[in-house]
Amino acid sequence: MTAGTTFRAPKVRSRLRTRPPERLRNAKGLLYGVIGIVGIVVVLLFAAFFLLSSEGALDILIRFLPGVGIAIVAFFAARSFRDRTLWSFVAATAIGVFLAGFGAALVFWVVSGRSGLDGNSGFFIVLGALLMAGIGLPIATNMAGSRKWFLAKQAGPAVVTADEILAETSEIVGLEEGMAAIAAEPAKGGTLISVRGLKKHFPILGGILRRRVGTVYAVDGVDFDVRAGEVFALVGESGCGKTTLGRTLLQLTPPTAGKVVFDGYELGDVEEDDMRPLRRRMQIIFQDPFGSLNPRMPVSDIIGEGLFAQGVTDRKERDKRVEDALEVVGLRRDYTRRFPHEFSGGQRQRIGVARALALNPDFIVCDEPVSALDVSIQSQVLNLLLDLKRDFNLTYLFISHNLSVVEYFSDRIGVMYLGKIVELGTVEDLYRDPRHPYTVALLSAIPEPDPRRRKKRLVLKGDVPSPAAPPSGCRFHTRCWLREQLGNPEICATTEPELRNLGGAEHRSACHFAEQINDATVERVAATQSVVETAAADPA
Amino acid sequence: MTETLSAPAVRGVPPARDVLLDVRDMRTHFRVLDGVVPAVDGISFSLRRGQTLGIVGESGSGKSVTALTIMRLLDIPPAEIVEGSEVWFDGREILSMPIDEMRRIRGKDMAMIFQEPLTSLNPVFTVGDQISEQVKLHLKVKPKEANERAIESLRTVGINSPERRVKQYPHELSGGMRQRVMIAMALSCEPKLLIADEPTTALDVTIQAQILELLKTVQQRTGSALMLITHDLGVVAEMVDNVIVMYAGQVVENGTVHEVLLEPRAPYTMGLLESIPSVEKRGGRLSAIQGVVPSPFNLPPACRFQPRCPYAWERCSQVIPNLYSIGTSGRASRCHLHTPEGASRLPGALEQHRLAMTVGRTLPTGEAR
Repeated sequence: MTAGTTFRAPKVRSRLRTRPPERLRNAKGLLYGVIGIVGIVVVLLFAAFFLLSSEGALDILIRFLPGVGIAIVAFFAARSFRDRTLWSFVAATAIGVFLAGFGAALVFWVVSGRSGLDGNSGFFIVLGALLMAGIGLPIATNMAGSRKWFLAKQAGPAVVTADEILAETSEIVGLEEGMAAIAAEPAKGGTLISVRGLKKHFPILGGILRRRVGTVYAVDGVDFDVRAGEVFALVGESGCGKTTLGRTLLQLTPPTAGKVVFDGYELGDVEEDDMRPLRRRMQIIFQDPFGSLNPRMPVSDIIGEGLFAQGVTDRKERDKRVEDALEVVGLRRDYTRRFPHEFSGGQRQRIGVARALALNPDFIVCDEPVSALDVSIQSQVLNLLLDLKRDFNLTYLFISHNLSVVEYFSDRIGVMYLGKIVELGTVEDLYRDPRHPYTVALLSAIPEPDPRRRKKRLVLKGDVPSPAAPPSGCRFHTRCWLREQLGNPEICATTEPELRNLGGAEHRSACHFAEQINDATVERVAATQSVVETAAADPA
Repeated sequence: MTETLSAPAVRGVPPARDVLLDVRDMRTHFRVLDGVVPAVDGISFSLRRGQTLGIVGESGSGKSVTALTIMRLLDIPPAEIVEGSEVWFDGREILSMPIDEMRRIRGKDMAMIFQEPLTSLNPVFTVGDQISEQVKLHLKVKPKEANERAIESLRTVGINSPERRVKQYPHELSGGMRQRVMIAMALSCEPKLLIADEPTTALDVTIQAQILELLKTVQQRTGSALMLITHDLGVVAEMVDNVIVMYAGQVVENGTVHEVLLEPRAPYTMGLLESIPSVEKRGGRLSAIQGVVPSPFNLPPACRFQPRCPYAWERCSQVIPNLYSIGTSGRASRCHLHTPEGASRLPGALEQHRLAMTVGRTLPTGEAR
């Protein structure tokens, strides 16, 4: 791996628009509707014309099909225009209708031997196109003249301030604190991603009719910020929702509720097509290096697919970027024509990293990037991630269940339990002075490779409850050792604790009795535990 | 100085009475289309009654094959146990034993806990059936009593209302519960040797803590010996008395857990320990072991770790290293650093290792590369 490899982002020529206001959206819908109706009318007029002209039904079909086909092609051509506007849409549809007419006329001419453009058919074609242009153009002009629309286009990316977003979101539960936090920190440079009240629920379908019989509360109201240039880690056991959170944050699955603000853009409000340039800036590295690479694609396609989607359509250019990316992650440039099965686990994970990196992102979600790898390979990949972070100014959301890796790798940590963040703070805060009983237990469970530090562990009882039926009040209360120590206070089972500040502004914990945690208590609990009973608190 | 540990007493002579398991120059090869894979290539170790032994290594190092060979669970062919391999268990050589006799030992005197509890439990039988099956087979008891023993063993591994659990199927249990069932099954006949092959790798960290504590407790109570196979040096540090480190089918280092983890003497062990992220190394780079595990078809000619070894010199690619004993009895390392030829290089290597274990913080991040 060479330092300072010339590795540039593909220049994506695309402006970002936030979703136009309601009025414009309606106008756009109306326009599409009108175009559709006009299209149908034109088609019907054609049909009427042919029917009236005493031809056989088969002839009519033959004349119709090519025209319709061309119209469909033209429509999709219009849709795929890179930086499409209503103008291009109208123009393309008009061209499509003309082509349809000509196509029909051509076939008519070939089949019957006489020109189809005489008489009424030509008239109708022209009429249809004029009609569409006549209706479409004023609306498009109106939109172009709309001040907000104009400004949004002029200013390029529309920067939404945190206040604006929060003003709209105050109805989401548990947001007041988030508002305070956002208001305290400027939206520039500091915060790259703000997550507020994010929820992702999955339906459980059952019965013959596949009706919703339950809900999995995979992510259930999460607030946090990721600052530019830091490594923010999410830790928790399997099933706590950390992977779902990562995916929902990137809008790979649409959130059920809540907001994600990425560099000033409220991702939920950005239109589907305008997400593309944003998606370039937010990439993901998946956990399983075997499942996340298509076995039938060569490396050049695996890495190049994203580049292609972002507009690098020239094969040579793309291959060069793929090779650059391979070099950056420490693989050889001539690996491009190889297939995934030709690589070892560590190399595959490097390909996954190269795929994310090829688009020169600002932010990468690393979803357990090293947990499928052997120890010696794991450290290679961790080193690579750290180097890349430094060289390309990356920000990571690092999802992991390995607390040793997280302690080494990250700056701030959010501990998740059953879809919620239960504790949040810097590495120092969390590892030196954990303030949530779950964090204490997690830390106590780390096996340390030093036999001198053999210790009595604090072992949690039972398994993680099902996220489809989370316990009432504090979700951790069914397994909580601290609650047991305090004589099972009622509040834990009835009132859900807030993620509240403790002392320093950085360190927050969602425990009613966070202040009661200290080393002496932890040691006493660990010493008096009965190991055999640890499976007791298991719901049937 | 070339005295090796792999020299057992005399071939065919049983070990001392307190040695429960004595593996001598065991070689398990796999004959496949592309050639021969020496999965286990001449390993020797012994385990005393009631003691714990950890076998550490990366995937492909041969640690699971070692366990399966001892249990005689490998299909022959493709596996091939090379002439001269000996495994003495409880005073008897088991590799040459007729399979019927082996069946009477397996499950009764030696039992195994597998890595993935869901795939190693039979989905179409209840948990109770699966535990009482071997109780019936080995202890010759009536079905009713076998069922009672199954309930009892479930209770000892901390499963509540075991009367109900014995009637459940594996899919009705969580991952931690299944692993408890596996442990209950292995313990049901009170074996003298318990082999645990990555017992917690598939589990979450809090459940792993439960299972490790449980294993410790039952092992102490029943007095059985434990052979723990893992890639996690943290688990080893918590659980075992002695450690052997395997690489590419060979033992590269052995000793007590304190010796191996605190004063490693084989470059591979040093590299493994250096590559574990810890808070001391925060801010710097982890010193990773370069390269990958060599292909078993194309092993380096002399020292198998030589292409990845930071301390290797010419001798390492020319002379096959033995397992050279160091200082105290039973401590050995397969590295030329511990021969007279390498003695001059040894202090430098140890110093480099010491730095790598702590130096991360002091390295400026900008120059870490």
